[in-house]
Amino acid sequence: MIPYDFEYYNPSSVEEAVQLFQTLHHDGKEPMYFSGGTEIITFGRLNMVRAGAVIDIKNIPECRALEFNQESLFIGAANALTTIEERNPFPLLSQTVSEIADRTARNKITVGGNICGTIFYREAVLPFLLTDSLVLVAGHRGLRSVPINEIFQEQLLLESGELLVQMVTNRAYLEQPFVSIKRRRQWDTGYPLITVAALKVGQEIRVAISGLTDFPFRAKQIEGALNRRDLSDEQRIELALHSLDVLILNDTEGSSQYRLFVLKNTLHDVLHELGG
Amino acid sequence: MNIIGKSVIRKEAFDKVTGRAKYTADELSGPSLHARIVTSPYGHARILSIDDSLAREITGVRAIIVGSHEFPLTGEEIRDRPPLAVDKVRYYGEPVALVVADRYEIAKKAAELIEVKYELLPVINSPTEALKEDAPILHPNLMSYEKIGTAYPVAHSNISNVTKIRKGNIENGWSQSEVSVEATYGFSPSSHSAMETRAATAEIKPDGYVHITTSSQAPFMVKRLMGIYFGIDIGKIIVETPLVGGAYGGKAPIQWEVLAYLASRAVGGKRVKIVYTREEDLTTAPCHVGLEALVKIGCTMEGVITAAEMVYWFDGGAYSDKAIDVSRAGGVDCIGPYNIDNVWCDSLCVYTNHPYGTPFRGFGHSEVLFAFERTMNMLAKKIGMDPLEFRKRNSILPGHTTPTQVVLNKNTVGYLPPCIDRLKDLLDWDQGEITEVDDRRIRVKGIACSWKTSTIDTDASSGVIITFNSDGSMNLMSGVVEIGTGTKTILAQILAERMKMDVEQIHVKMDVHTQTTPEHWKTVASRGVFMAGRAVLEAAEDVIRQIKDVAACVLRTSTEDLEVAFGRVFLKDEPEVGLMLKDVVYGYKFPNGNSIGGQIVGYGNYILRRMTYLDPETGAGQPGPEWTVAAHGVEVEYDKRDFTYKLVRAATVVDIGVVLNHKAALGQVMGAMSMGLAFAGRETFVFDELGRVMNPQLRTYRPIHYGENPRYLVDFVINPVENAPYGSRGVGEHGLLGMPAALANALSIAAGVELNELPLTPELIWRTKGAEL
Repeated sequence: MIPYDFEYYNPSSVEEAVQLFQTLHHDGKEPMYFSGGTEIITFGRLNMVRAGAVIDIKNIPECRALEFNQESLFIGAANALTTIEERNPFPLLSQTVSEIADRTARNKITVGGNICGTIFYREAVLPFLLTDSLVLVAGHRGLRSVPINEIFQEQLLLESGELLVQMVTNRAYLEQPFVSIKRRRQWDTGYPLITVAALKVGQEIRVAISGLTDFPFRAKQIEGALNRRDLSDEQRIELALHSLDVLILNDTEGSSQYRLFVLKNTLHDVLHELGG
Repeated sequence: MNIIGKSVIRKEAFDKVTGRAKYTADELSGPSLHARIVTSPYGHARILSIDDSLAREITGVRAIIVGSHEFPLTGEEIRDRPPLAVDKVRYYGEPVALVVADRYEIAKKAAELIEVKYELLPVINSPTEALKEDAPILHPNLMSYEKIGTAYPVAHSNISNVTKIRKGNIENGWSQSEVSVEATYGFSPSSHSAMETRAATAEIKPDGYVHITTSSQAPFMVKRLMGIYFGIDIGKIIVETPLVGGAYGGKAPIQWEVLAYLASRAVGGKRVKIVYTREEDLTTAPCHVGLEALVKIGCTMEGVITAAEMVYWFDGGAYSDKAIDVSRAGGVDCIGPYNIDNVWCDSLCVYTNHPYGTPFRGFGHSEVLFAFERTMNMLAKKIGMDPLEFRKRNSILPGHTTPTQVVLNKNTVGYLPPCIDRLKDLLDWDQGEITEVDDRRIRVKGIACSWKTSTIDTDASSGVIITFNSDGSMNLMSGVVEIGTGTKTILAQILAERMKMDVEQIHVKMDVHTQTTPEHWKTVASRGVFMAGRAVLEAAEDVIRQIKDVAACVLRTSTEDLEVAFGRVFLKDEPEVGLMLKDVVYGYKFPNGNSIGGQIVGYGNYILRRMTYLDPETGAGQPGPEWTVAAHGVEVEYDKRDFTYKLVRAATVVDIGVVLNHKAALGQVMGAMSMGLAFAGRETFVFDELGRVMNPQLRTYRPIHYGENPRYLVDFVINPVENAPYGSRGVGEHGLLGMPAALANALSIAAGVELNELPLTPELIWRTKGAEL
């Protein structure tokens, strides 16, 4: 049970949503945008998330978009993960999100919610980091489009009241070879020990990682090493592991040393799948 | 009739699958206040102060209760636990205060405003730490606590109970042995994680009657213990238990009922409901014990075991409660199902700063068998013998003696060798333990055998009442709680078979109401069908006798010539001469209006026979009625690079006596196997240095999910038991017993290292293999 009362709003346009946020914020309601609601409900119950008002974005057409134009794929933030899996416009994204939580939860969890959530794995962001996607963000000054690799630094750096509307991905990336691997503490359910998504663009392998540290990141720090075609796979991976400069998690999912072991093997699989 | 063995659909199935079944928290019989617990955030700390001033100011708060020496100490063997912590907290999740309010959300809000100041104390995080010389003594008053059960605590220590098992002469055993293996084992406490969290309501009526509704396996024990703890006349305590949404031993202890009662008492006896959150259900409620073990087994070169020497240190947690009993059961069946002449075992129940332990499906057996059956595999390997042949050679059989010196016969123990043979078929054992899949992956089989008796109170009994409806159908009332095992349906089958009636004509009372339902000791220990089934048969004899008495008078014959079947009572040799039961069971009315007989009420009861206490020095005694035996196997697909594995197949063959309901039996065995694999492979609490549970939610404490399960192979060996209802043995727990050991045996072969801890995660394998990057 959520131990506090909150107001519920259901706007039908981006402008209305943003305006509502402004007003509610001004009134001291501490509003939050609400998409799948899984974190607001489960953390609200524990008082770890509090909101005086929630603004449901699921009835905003732009947030539900899932469409192409000549150049790009537009994915609305309020698409459920299972919608992404079923319609499959972006196979790497489908594969990555299909490993998040379980089917029942994925019917609720949305792409935008997963990226903006407080649970730090945020695996849905990995494919967008790899494809240099743009994010479309709405604020009281209107819409802005920002490269995800700029605005996503450990988390999506939105200004107060800003709403993640869509992710825009260049279609050329959707055809590239990819691999997405999630390794857990045990079997097939649970948070990642390590999730690695990788994309081969031309001859260059790109890698993004979740679970290694307490935020997901495009691992440019190790891409250089992984693309050293003058070295063997073993050497590249050893160099990659040495190039890592993040604090490695040590928690109930696994120790930091073990995470490195898992990462090493996962990188082997990436190189094996995508070739040198 | 052929009702025995049939897969009769559970009587409560339609309510359950349509979501209409009602559990304790669903009870809506009138308004109630709500209680919320404030729990300890530390494993061990002194309570310096509790400030509830802010909480008291909230409108709708009716009472705030904190621990007090005025409250009785609770505990089933040793009364060592205050219902709300007094002066000290001894585990993470321990109840410290209780808020009663008009609505749940008010209680919750107020609970969050109660400020408790603690001073941290040194934490005991394992039995090993508890037994160190400089360890803090968690219960300095241990020897002066009142005992209401049997316990042998050790003064000035953290040992709440010692069970000594001494069979034969262990020195002789060692001198006869040519090869031996010794190893240590360990795992932390974990959870039952039943779907329904614990819940209770309590109301103290103006006339002094105490009404409790609880999600419990032991409503009659609630009644008895509440009487003892609070000095209430036992007849004034009325306990109701509706359907229970999974229990697994975790609802055998008494805890949430005491809190509900204290809450009600604080608000003038008004009805108060307490429903544990999932977090409280995981950490506040009693949990599955942990264990550390030292096992040494010796045998001859021919593979005859001559000696087994064990020390089991059960991690009983902060309070001894039922963990004492679990540790005793672990001592009783301290070896696997083998005939070993010389056995020496100390089974200790040890206090730690963990949530306190309680029965978990299998009652201490899967735990000690993990250690024992791992050692058996190592010993078989050392003498170069097939591990199943090694077990078969040493199988315990009728005529042999158990560690507590019970001489077995064909009724008191099942036959292990045919279980082993059938297991070999199921697992294609002749194709070898290891099969290569590709250069990285191998499939590996591991096995284990198990046995279990039910170490229950020597005077445990079960009663049954049968009444009739005017159409001749029957109502069956038993104190067995329907915890999801389908037991009440099986009792209906037993009655239908005896009455030669359609099982649809048997109506069972699903809920238990201690004022109207005859007592069934506790719905634990796989004893529901055995005890209540015997009582049903006796009650059936009672109604048959009464029906015949009336019919003999009407039909002017002797009762010996009558038979009751198919809803009639009739002459055996002239079946067309007879009466419909509906014309007899509410009295027979003659055409002129004269009536005889009146309504028929049948009663039956069963008490376990010839049970004894164990001798404190040797353990000798009759601890339970019979031993079920089983053989288990697990096949994994193991990745040699990643040390990960998939569960491919899991098999269990049980000597079940007779199958009463085929699908229900399969379901029980598979469900138990699934729990065993989850416990072995993933489920454990992770503690930090402050004794805090780091995974107190299902986000991070993860039971097995569909899709992670192996293919389950279950089969039964049939050897009817003479004194059991239609010959059946208990089977509710046995599928679980060998799973941890079988999985560990498979993975130890696969990984080439001895894996002696649980859970068997890939990280454990990686660490055991040297933790190389």
